[in-house]
Amino acid sequence: MVGITRIATYFPRRRLDRALIAKAWGGRAAGTRTVAGFDEDALTMASDAVRACLESTDPAGFDALHFASTSAPYAEKQVASVIATAADLPRQARVADFGGSVRAGLAALSAALDAVGAGSARAALVAAADARLAEPESELETVLGDGAAAVAVGREGVVAELVSAASVSEEFTCLWRTDQQRYVQVSEPRFGATYGYARDVAEAVTAALRKAEVPPGRVTRLALGAPDARAAAEAAKRAGCDPARQLEASLVAEAGILGSGEPLALLSRSLETASPGDFLVVAAWGEGADALVFRATERLPAARPRPLADRLAHGLALPSYERYLRARGVLPAEPMGEPVTAMIEWKELKQDVRLYGSRCEACGLVQYPQARVCLGCRAQDRMADHKLAKRGQVFTFTIDNLAPVAEHPMPMAVVDVDGGGRLYLQVTDAADGEVKVGAPVELTFRRLHEAAGNRNYFWKARPALASS
Amino acid sequence: MKDQVAVIGVGCTKFGDRFERGFEDLICDAAFAAYEDAGIEAADIQAAYLGTYLPGPGGGKAAVSLADALRLYDRPITRVENYCATGTDAFRNGCLAIAAGVHDVVLVVGAEKLKDRGGRGIPRLGHPLLARGNTAPGLFALAANRYMHTFGLGRETLAKVAVKNHKNGAQNPKAHLQMEVTEEQVLKAPIIAWPFGLLDCCPTTDGAAAAIICRADLAKRFKKPAVLVKGAGLAVATGRPYFDPTFDYLGFRSTQAAARQAYAMAGITARDVDFAEVHDCFTWTEISNVEDLGFCAKGEGGRLVEDGRTALGGDIPVNPSGGLKSFGHPIGASGVRMIYECVVQLRGEAGSRQVKDAELGLAHNVGGPGAVSCVVVLGRS
Repeated sequence: MVGITRIATYFPRRRLDRALIAKAWGGRAAGTRTVAGFDEDALTMASDAVRACLESTDPAGFDALHFASTSAPYAEKQVASVIATAADLPRQARVADFGGSVRAGLAALSAALDAVGAGSARAALVAAADARLAEPESELETVLGDGAAAVAVGREGVVAELVSAASVSEEFTCLWRTDQQRYVQVSEPRFGATYGYARDVAEAVTAALRKAEVPPGRVTRLALGAPDARAAAEAAKRAGCDPARQLEASLVAEAGILGSGEPLALLSRSLETASPGDFLVVAAWGEGADALVFRATERLPAARPRPLADRLAHGLALPSYERYLRARGVLPAEPMGEPVTAMIEWKELKQDVRLYGSRCEACGLVQYPQARVCLGCRAQDRMADHKLAKRGQVFTFTIDNLAPVAEHPMPMAVVDVDGGGRLYLQVTDAADGEVKVGAPVELTFRRLHEAAGNRNYFWKARPALASS
Repeated sequence: MKDQVAVIGVGCTKFGDRFERGFEDLICDAAFAAYEDAGIEAADIQAAYLGTYLPGPGGGKAAVSLADALRLYDRPITRVENYCATGTDAFRNGCLAIAAGVHDVVLVVGAEKLKDRGGRGIPRLGHPLLARGNTAPGLFALAANRYMHTFGLGRETLAKVAVKNHKNGAQNPKAHLQMEVTEEQVLKAPIIAWPFGLLDCCPTTDGAAAAIICRADLAKRFKKPAVLVKGAGLAVATGRPYFDPTFDYLGFRSTQAAARQAYAMAGITARDVDFAEVHDCFTWTEISNVEDLGFCAKGEGGRLVEDGRTALGGDIPVNPSGGLKSFGHPIGASGVRMIYECVVQLRGEAGSRQVKDAELGLAHNVGGPGAVSCVVVLGRS
C-alpha cells in the first residue's frame, strides 16, 4: 500500500486584517490573511512544515524530498537540498524542486507517490510553500495568503492510500510572472476561473474518479485548490459533486489563497474528520489540473493531523498595512551585513544547518558550537556529534532596539535546549511579554539576513505556544 | 612587579564627540600632556604601548599610528587589543616591560576614535551566523536580566548607578556627559536593550589618555610625586558565554580571577582598596563588578549603591571620575583614562571629586562581556 503517512501545515504567525488593505486603497475587504514575516519565505515555511510533519520521526528513514513553490527564494539554487539538510535527511536523499504554477504542490506529491510506488524511494517528504507577492492595490493582494504544507509518503503507516490519479494539461493564460516581474500577474479573473479553472479541475477530478470507479456522490471530501471559493464550488458542481456537502471549506477567510500548499492543506483538513474507507479527492490547477483520489485507512483515527484551527491559532495582528509591506520586502528594510562565505558554510554545515553540537565522551557535557576541547572537563578530542533538540527554555533574554534587523524591538534569548546544549538566538514571532526567563521556545529555520547579494539562513527561536 | 614600577606622568584629552580631532590628534593631546606632567621629552621614551580596539578606516591600525602621531621612531612600539580591557592591558604590558628590566621609561597610550565611523555604536564583530543580532547593550542585558530575575532587582536600582556616576562626572571638566540625571529620567529614557534604557548605557565617545611609567627607583628624578603600581591581573574567559551551559550569568569569572591576581601581587584584600574606577559600560555592569571585585558579596551590589556606599563620600567610592557612564567610553582609551583618574586621586589633585585620604586605588575593565578583565592596583607610597 502506498500513500500518505503523515501530513502537517504551517502558517506564519503574522496576520493582516484585510480591512487595513481596504483602508490604504479604498473599497471593502473582509477577513484576515496570513503574512510571511520579514525572515520567512517559501523555503523557511516549507522547512517549518517539514519539521511539524516529522515531529519525532527519524529523518534518516526518508530518502527523497520534493519542494514545490512558485515563489521560491532562488531562481537558481536548489531549495529542496537546503530543506533536506536543515531537516537532517541523509546526504543520499533524492531531492527535487517543483515550480511553474501552483499545481507544483500536487505534482510534487504525485511524483513522491510514484517514486515510492515504483520502489525508487522508500519514503519521501513533500513540502509545498508559497509567499506570493501581488502588486499593491491589486485585487490579488487582498486574497493571497502565505503558508505551507508537508506530506510524508511511504508504504508503512499509511493513513490515506492512493487510489487513482488523473491530469489535464493545456496552455491557458491565467496567472503568470515572467523572469522580469516581481508581482504575480492575472488576466481577467472571471474568465480564468470559468474556462481555465473550473473546466480543467472538473475534467481531472472526473477522470480520476472514473479510474477509481468511485461515483462522485461517494466522495466524502473534495480538497480543491482554487483561485477563489466560488470557482471551487463551480468545479465541484461540474464534477458531479455537491459543493455544500462535499467541498472542503476554503481557507480564504482566515488565511487566503495559499498557492502550492493549498490543496495539501485542504486535504489535511479533510483528514481531521474522515473515517476509514472514506474517499478523498485532492486537486490542483494551473495550465491544466491534477487530481488524486485517496481512501482513508484504519490507521487514520490514531494518527490524525493537527487541526488547521490549531495551526492558525495565536495569530499576531500586524498593526498596519505598512508593516505588511515591510514584512514582505515591498518597502526596503534590512540593512546589509557580512555574508557567511561558501567556505565557512561548507565547513560548518553540520553545526550551523543540521544543528549538531558536541557531546563530551569523558564528562557528557553537550556544547555548542562544535569544539575540540571540552568546556566542562577540558578533555581533548573526545567529542561525539550531538544533534540538538529543536525545543528548549529561555535561560535569559533581552529585547533589543539597537540591533541591525528589519523589525524592532528584536528579542534575543539564551536557550537551554532540551537534552543538552545552550544556544543564543534571535527570537522571532513573539508577542509582547512572551519572551521571559523560563519561557518554552522551539526552533525555526529562518532567513537571517542578506549580504553580498545572497541570503543567509539560520535557526531562530520562537515562543512554543500550547497548541502550535 | 609590586612597587617596581612608578607612574610619573599622566595625560587625558577631553572625552566626547571630538569631531574636530583625528585619531592621531587625540594621541598627541594625551601624550603631550603626559610628557608635560612628567617633565620629560619624547626622546626620553624608550618604548611605547598603544591600546586601541578597532581597526582604522581601511584596515589594521598597528603601532605605526602612535609612531607617526608622535614621530616616535626607531624604538619598540606595540599595539595591544583585548576587547574593552585594551587600555588597562596596554598599561599592564608596559609595566611588565619595566619590571623585566628591559626599559626604564615607557609611554602607554590608550586611544579610540569612534565618532568618525559614521554608524551607531560599535560595529558588530564575530561569526556571520552564530550569535548574529548581538549588540553590546544586548549582550550585557542578557546578564542583567538573569541577574535581576535571580536577585529580584528592579530597574530603579540600576538607575541609581547612573545617578551617582553622572553626579561625579558633572564635576569633571574632561567628562563626555557633564550633567546630572535623576532616577526618573533614567527610568523614562527610551529602551535600548531591555532592561537598559538610554541612560543606563555609556555613550560612544572619542578620547585618548596616556601614562608615563618608569623604574620605581628612578621615579624621584621626575617632577610629580610618583604613584606606584601595586598589582596587576589579567584574565581571559570564554568570548561566547552565551553558549556555555554552565554559566549562571550572575557575574564574570574573568573579573574575579583578575582581581585575585592583582590583590595577591599587591598583598592586599578588596577591603584595603580606598576607591575604584570600575567598568560601568551599563549600569548593571557596575553592580555585578563591585561584587566580582570583592567589595561586597554576590547579590549585594545593588545594596551597595542604594546605601550610598559607592558614592563619593561613601566607604568605597566607585567611579569618582564619572565612570564610563558619564566620562564616556572610547574603548581602548578607557583603561588608561582610569589609570589617569587613579593617579590624579592618589596625588590629591581631583578637586571637588577628591576621595579623602586615598592611599590605594583600583582600575578595572571588563570586555566581551566577561571574556576578558584587567585589574590594576595603584598606591600612593
